[in-house]
Amino acid sequence: MSNFLQPTILLLKDGTDTAQGKQHLIGNINACSFVVDTIRTTLGPRGMDKLINTGRYSTVSNDGATILDLLDIVHPAARTLVDIAKSQDAEVGDGTTTVVILAYELLKQAKKYIEDDVHPKIIIKSYRQAAQLCLKRIDEIAVKIDTTDKDKSLEMLEKCAGTALNSKLIASYKEFFSKIVVKAVTNLDQELLDLDLIGIKKVSGGAMQDSLFIDGVAFKKTFSYAGFEQQPKKFIKPKIALLNVELELKSEKTGAEVRIEDPQEYQSIIDAEWDIIYKKLDTIVKAGANVVLSRLAIGDLATQYFADRDVFCAGRVPEEDLNRLSKATGKQIQSTVSKLTHEMLGECDLMEEKQMGKERYNILSGFPHKSTSTIILRGGAEQFLNEMERSLHDSIMIVKRAIKNNTIVAGGGAIEMELSRYLIEHAKKIFGKEQILIEAFAKALEITPKQLAENAGFDAMAILNKLRKEHADPNPDKMWIGVDIDNEDVCDTFKTFVWEPSLIKRNAINAATEAACLILSVDQTVKNPNSSEEQNKQIQQQKQMLRPTRGARF
Amino acid sequence: MNIAFDEYGRPFIIMREQDMKERLTGPEARKANILIAVSLMNILKTSLGPKGMDKILVSPDGEITVTNDGATILDNMDITNEIEKLLVELSKGQDDEIGDGTTSVVVFAGALLEQAQKLLDKGIHPIRIADGYEHACKIAVEHLKKISSEITFDRENYETLITAAMTSVSSKVVNEFQRQLSEIAVKAVLTVADLERKDVRIDLIQVQGKTGGSLKDTQLIDGIVIDKEMSHPQMQKEVSDAKIAILSCPFEPPKPKTGYKLNIDSVEKYKKLQELEQKYFHDMVKLVKDSGANLVLCQWGFDDEANHLLYQNELPSVRWVGGVEMELIALATGGRIVPRFSELNEKKLGLAGHVKEIPLGTTNDNIIVLEKCSQKKAVCIFVRGGNKMVVDEAKRSLHDAICVTRNLIRDNKIVYGGGAPEISCSLAVSKAADEISTLEQYAIRSFADALDQIPISLAENSGLDPIETISNLKANQIKTNNPFLGVDCLGKGTENMKEQNVFDTLAGKIQQLLLATQMAKMILKIDDVILHHGQN
Repeated sequence: MSNFLQPTILLLKDGTDTAQGKQHLIGNINACSFVVDTIRTTLGPRGMDKLINTGRYSTVSNDGATILDLLDIVHPAARTLVDIAKSQDAEVGDGTTTVVILAYELLKQAKKYIEDDVHPKIIIKSYRQAAQLCLKRIDEIAVKIDTTDKDKSLEMLEKCAGTALNSKLIASYKEFFSKIVVKAVTNLDQELLDLDLIGIKKVSGGAMQDSLFIDGVAFKKTFSYAGFEQQPKKFIKPKIALLNVELELKSEKTGAEVRIEDPQEYQSIIDAEWDIIYKKLDTIVKAGANVVLSRLAIGDLATQYFADRDVFCAGRVPEEDLNRLSKATGKQIQSTVSKLTHEMLGECDLMEEKQMGKERYNILSGFPHKSTSTIILRGGAEQFLNEMERSLHDSIMIVKRAIKNNTIVAGGGAIEMELSRYLIEHAKKIFGKEQILIEAFAKALEITPKQLAENAGFDAMAILNKLRKEHADPNPDKMWIGVDIDNEDVCDTFKTFVWEPSLIKRNAINAATEAACLILSVDQTVKNPNSSEEQNKQIQQQKQMLRPTRGARF
Repeated sequence: MNIAFDEYGRPFIIMREQDMKERLTGPEARKANILIAVSLMNILKTSLGPKGMDKILVSPDGEITVTNDGATILDNMDITNEIEKLLVELSKGQDDEIGDGTTSVVVFAGALLEQAQKLLDKGIHPIRIADGYEHACKIAVEHLKKISSEITFDRENYETLITAAMTSVSSKVVNEFQRQLSEIAVKAVLTVADLERKDVRIDLIQVQGKTGGSLKDTQLIDGIVIDKEMSHPQMQKEVSDAKIAILSCPFEPPKPKTGYKLNIDSVEKYKKLQELEQKYFHDMVKLVKDSGANLVLCQWGFDDEANHLLYQNELPSVRWVGGVEMELIALATGGRIVPRFSELNEKKLGLAGHVKEIPLGTTNDNIIVLEKCSQKKAVCIFVRGGNKMVVDEAKRSLHDAICVTRNLIRDNKIVYGGGAPEISCSLAVSKAADEISTLEQYAIRSFADALDQIPISLAENSGLDPIETISNLKANQIKTNNPFLGVDCLGKGTENMKEQNVFDTLAGKIQQLLLATQMAKMILKIDDVILHHGQN
């Protein structure tokens, strides 16, 4: 009888969703499969693009991190995959698709062992061990490029940049773009490698090959007032004033009021105001500036004043461009002009206004500190330009990494096959459950060449078998055999210059293993009732009730 | 979207608002995309060439546009589909860079995709097709360069430029006056062009339109037109040897920008204030007079008192002149924009030989024309036409003609029009295709077929039998080895476009091929379309 009277114990709030156990873990893995299916086809030089429309904007992209971000995934386990893609993007900038696919493949391999009641912790332990082995092997076999030889190191960088562009829309011009990318990155200060100093501008119209590399800073003609066209548009060796000052006739203090007792004094107030602005303009011109650039507005009065004195001016210059100019000239951006002197002015070789498509661009080049550069991208449509920018970003990141880390491996699935072979060999020598699990890891690594071949429309199984056979050969010459995309065969991808910095692979394996382990270690999800809508309403109601009482105290 | 189920048979929620998302993948997605592009091409196709037809576009507010300019048509079609948007961007890209050929570029991109569909049905990988297209595009561009010719011109001899502009205008509704409009456009461009630097600032050509009159009355004014009238009806309407004060300050007592308060606590003070106010007006007029100006253009307004004073002092004046016009006037007359009366002096005045107010028709509508300006840095094209639609279309046609002229100044290479370069390229590309051993061969051959689309449409629009015409042309081009043979749209009796004097800029043609190929590649590469049906 007592059983009937026992009250139900409410542990969790009403509406909380819980799921647990082995089945839940399998469910999580299934959820991940959805995410991976979406981006699977983007891998490799024959990978496809996705068109994603989020309400108003639409994006065409091939970049794993971008696609996952736009999908707006909420499933907790699947989100882990999104996070590793993002972390890979932040850390190395490329290989975001690879890392997600690899992580899922690890989970997929683990799934059957979980169904066979292998404890997830054992799987995790073995996976970690396998990942360590992989990293060790990468270090062993990665090829070091001699950076003391300038030409060789440049070549290496260009090849790496090109590999990153392989799968992108601009792949057919990868030689062209990888040269631009390498030039831009090598132009930076080699210690800091501050990528903010590479400006990427997009101008619609024109073909891809019309894209430009500018050794300096370029920005779109800013909004200008009447009088601007009378200013000269070309300077050789100009003196540049970088300002953060509003050059406009305006009230000095908002809210201030002048009391005038005598109407006679009226004019003096007006004169005083004019004096302030004229003094500012005068100081700038006296300091010897030919080009005045300000982050804030330059009004019509100032524009005309400068036009009279053959000085070029541009107001509302984007902040990042001004910062880059500051770095390039080695001069500070002045936030007041009262003490502006000749020494505070920057210098460059040439300043010119040029037509780019429909826009006019101001181009400043030839700075004493060679540390900044601008890439002007041309292309038919806005979405196209955006995708170009993302692709170049990947490539730039790779070059940056490759400069710091000068060991490379061969792509096209070659390194994965080599690691897979190595793991299987190793697994045979150990005792215990780890053996089978490390083999599972090795199998998961094969996904990269498999997917590459599949995307290219090849018989993936046949290619994979060929690869396995080649790699089984102990001859070290066969180490870099990967998928040959052009001829539906296998080839030495090191010789065909599919090069990647070893760092990408290290990071990818690390991140994928971490993510897989994380998902494997979960056996229960407790999901609170949707807080965002219900609770927000409640909170707001409470706030509204609170407000009048607070006011009532006075 | 496809739904996955968890261990309890409940659907997974993987994405936010999953049920509002729609997804098309693989071949279906590609098929749908291509279908859209092709249908858009079919809309635009009929606008190609001198016998192309116009479209009426009615905006949501009921405003009507009649045009056959590709970019304008696409821009005014309320487009929601993603692929269509891409094509709209494509024609805009062509418009931004070249300014002409906006229809052809979309037609060509559509044709490329239409051909690609056939290859996809054969099971060729889309990227192989795209690669083949790119390869073919390179061949075509090289070939175009080979068959291009150079034209020569200078400031005095610009007949060739006019011919080029006429080709561009020929397809528009205004083509009755193509000679006149082209001449105007070319002269305007030459006036503002910097032939040494090969730079043309189109902004300096002002295109003003007014309904009334006929297109024939359209003229090039060596100076500036302001759509305003003298501020006082009795002011003199004509000024010869005008010395113009260009003012960016109002004709009224200046106001400090800082907040102020004037304390008037006695009658004397009040009187003084009034006196001062009067004095301001007098001083201003005096300063203007002293500088020697005999015409005042003011960016701001002035009240009746000032107006009267100006009239009394025989200073014709115009108020509320727009900022852009001010700038153009300053450039054309060599004057300076003056922000305050005290800075006015003789050096800052602009000079124009002749300024007059012209009444238009009977509508009590006046314009002010500044002619014979001292510096020839800005010009104005004044367009007249029976109704607003015609005026707008004439403006657009002039824009195209101006762009063509500018492109020729930048790069003086041309190809002959009438579909001749396309046919020639098509021949060259299909010849090259046979030498390629890989799968791309098919794609390259398709590229050649797509190239035929433009002459086919030209022939279709001209009422010729397209297949017969094109096959004859191809045969003749090979037989005579003459790449200038094109579609004789106007029935002039010769297929030789060189004799017909129909030509396009080389830069424009190359750009068309490159942009269309780029776009076809982008669309072919998409295999997954994820749409969000949210609030909108």
